[in-house]
Amino acid sequence: MTSKFNFYLGAAIAAWLLAAMIVIAELFAPFKDALKAAFTHHWLGKLVIVGIAFFVFAYLMREKKAIAGITDEKAAWYSVLGSLLVILAFFVVEFIA
Amino acid sequence: MAVTEVLFSWLSRDNALFFHIIIGGLLVVLPLIILLYLGKKPSWLKNASLLAALASWLVFVPAARLYVDFYPATKTLILAGTWPWAHKVVMETKEHWGLLLPVIATVAAWQVFKGDEEKSRKWWALTLVLALLLAVMGRLVKMGAGAQ
Repeated sequence: MTSKFNFYLGAAIAAWLLAAMIVIAELFAPFKDALKAAFTHHWLGKLVIVGIAFFVFAYLMREKKAIAGITDEKAAWYSVLGSLLVILAFFVVEFIA
Repeated sequence: MAVTEVLFSWLSRDNALFFHIIIGGLLVVLPLIILLYLGKKPSWLKNASLLAALASWLVFVPAARLYVDFYPATKTLILAGTWPWAHKVVMETKEHWGLLLPVIATVAAWQVFKGDEEKSRKWWALTLVLALLLAVMGRLVKMGAGAQ
């Protein structure tokens, strides 16, 4: 568990992938429909894709200690917080608009 | 038909709600206990961390059953009422924030397993805060269904 995975980078990628999927699914109906067609519900699709991305990228990037000059731990922390903020902001703006 | 109706047909709405609350409660209590004892590095720290990470994934069983199979009726009620934001902002945010909870809890547990207990502190704190926020948001959504 300690050397075979870098869950920091898995978390960073999963967090931004989730934010991107949410925005694209809400603004581009065919993507949401495709998730629904493949997973029977768009939310289940996001759950499966985020879960797989988290573990697969944690494994693929196990040797990396930084990404774009940012340490893996910082990248994970700010990516997760950024994703949470983007998700909230997107639905607030979408409701107001 | 959603896959949840096939896989989790054995899980009634009441039982799903019960397990959702129990496992959700564990995701508040376990990070809190871990945070309180983290500095002392007790022998059970890794077991508690693993349990919290597993619970954060397991909670998707009742959550998926409730959200995919039973929530649509509640959503209709909310959108017909005076609190449409309870679905459009609160539930939409909650359902997607929840997808990051196991990611956060797994990172925290992984840090404990690799001996970075102090670094795990802020990740456990985020797990705790997020689990609490999701509970409050769930309550708001429920109230939204009654706001006619």
